[in-house]
Amino acid sequence: MSLLRGVGQHLKTDHPYLTAFALVELIFLVLPSLIILVASLGAGEIIAFPPDELSLRWYFSLLDEGEYIQPFINSVMVATICTIISIPIGLSTAIGLNRYDIRFEHGIQLYLLLPFTVPLVVSGFILLILFGRIGWIGNIWAVGLALTIINIPFMIWSVASSVNSFDPTLENAARSLGAEEIQTFRHVTLPALMPGVISGSLMMFMLALNEFIVSLIITISDTETLPVAIYSAIRGNISPQIAAISSVYVIAAIIAIIIADQLVGLDKFLHS
Amino acid sequence: MSRIDTYRHTWTQFKWSVMDAIIAIKERIPFEKKADSNRFGYVLITPGVLVISFLAVGMALLTWYSFLTYDTIQIFTYEYTLANWNRLIQTSAFHTVFFRTILYSTLVTVLCVVFAVPYAYLVVRTKQPILRYVLLFGLFVPFFSGVIIRAYGWLILLGRNGAFNWLLESIGLEPLNIIGTSTAVIIGLVQYMLPFAVLMITPAIASIDRDLERAAKNAGANQIQTFRHVILPLARPGITAAAIVVFTISMANYSIPDLLGGGTNDFVANFIYQTVFGTLNYPFASVLSIVLVAVASIVVLGVFRRYGTGTLGVEVGE
Repeated sequence: MSLLRGVGQHLKTDHPYLTAFALVELIFLVLPSLIILVASLGAGEIIAFPPDELSLRWYFSLLDEGEYIQPFINSVMVATICTIISIPIGLSTAIGLNRYDIRFEHGIQLYLLLPFTVPLVVSGFILLILFGRIGWIGNIWAVGLALTIINIPFMIWSVASSVNSFDPTLENAARSLGAEEIQTFRHVTLPALMPGVISGSLMMFMLALNEFIVSLIITISDTETLPVAIYSAIRGNISPQIAAISSVYVIAAIIAIIIADQLVGLDKFLHS
Repeated sequence: MSRIDTYRHTWTQFKWSVMDAIIAIKERIPFEKKADSNRFGYVLITPGVLVISFLAVGMALLTWYSFLTYDTIQIFTYEYTLANWNRLIQTSAFHTVFFRTILYSTLVTVLCVVFAVPYAYLVVRTKQPILRYVLLFGLFVPFFSGVIIRAYGWLILLGRNGAFNWLLESIGLEPLNIIGTSTAVIIGLVQYMLPFAVLMITPAIASIDRDLERAAKNAGANQIQTFRHVILPLARPGITAAAIVVFTISMANYSIPDLLGGGTNDFVANFIYQTVFGTLNYPFASVLSIVLVAVASIVVLGVFRRYGTGTLGVEVGE
């Protein structure tokens, strides 16, 4: 404990024990991601600790063998489709709910929480049945739509918080200066809602890129996404190649955090 | 004029003509005069309502399926039966799975709240920007890297030849078999859910007036007493919301019991998946799905009754 306390004091905080406790949690949180980065650099045929020597051979083998390239492209496409569909839906739903008198507003809000109350495995099962009946299974955009359905509340919340903090008198000002309704929306309202749209989009994109269980249920081999491919690989073997492809995700996560920090600031992102 | 200027000029002209065209079209549309403006609100929320209707329709469909007869060749026939429900009621194996799912999720919820409150408190109250940044970073790295990646990380850490056993052996201890036990599932789930819990509790702590803490200190309370009697009660809406989110997501988890539980710690989600893809028994999978939704809803409603809706209540709107 004295060591932890020393760390706390070194950081000169007024909560030395609390800081030490939080730092232990921090290690607990990031360790699984970091260990993947370390394991991916091992040169051996199996993952061993400590790695005998470091090499990038598994990263090169990813490119040479190429079995993860299609799932990677699928994942990026699915995430892009999901984000593109969700932006207009999130914008119009958030504006509709906040700016207009809507009857049964409370009921509609509960309804919009349905993607959270229905467990993901059940949502996957439902979409397997519905998309199967309509004949959409096997389409990459259907996977994108599925991920929009299960994650759309994040987008609506994110935009709604921007709508709430937006001052409507700005719109009146633009109108009284002669701007048409649509011009006002394009040049005044939309830019003011951008922070919400950006953090919502980032959220949607990252969640879709990582989504697993619904994708596992509704994808076929042509539309298989990267998490599904990694899952199948983990069950099959223990090659460090899986660690290499998984590192792509860890690195993507770190890049996304840096982007989020630059665009909206991590503190702000926390409150959306 | 340079070429770039010409380009910009044409572009601006193009944008203007597009905008003019849109306005012209809009003016042709008869409604959206002031009296109709509320109706326009319904038009705006329609896409969101439609997208989610997949799930609403699906739940109704599952209820219907749950009364159909399972058939090994055709998946199901349109004959109504209570057999699927009877099977659930009479098979004790399913009761065990439901009980395990609820028990583990409760444990995970308690652990997550206990771990999340101090972390969130420090994120909000620390005076050092670097510490806050590092803490936020540690929160978002797992949050953004997905459940499969993290479960895989735990496999590498806790596996037979993993980093943890290497550490144990190097200090002269016996290696442990953690993967495949309930401990591994709990560790995996807590690490998976902790960022959610912190993210939901942080705003609640941020909204607590600092002066209240100072007042408590002036009145002679030590840090623990301040925490117990000022922070915890005021942060309760956030804690309630976090508990609900952690509980419902853990309860529905598939991948962590599957990858870290070694087949002996399955959750209801694993059973649903096996029923759908193993035996193609859609009617029985529907029964399991409905009961899973029902159990989660009952617990959530119970918490709402007892502790209020927390910050989950009216998220949208004023």
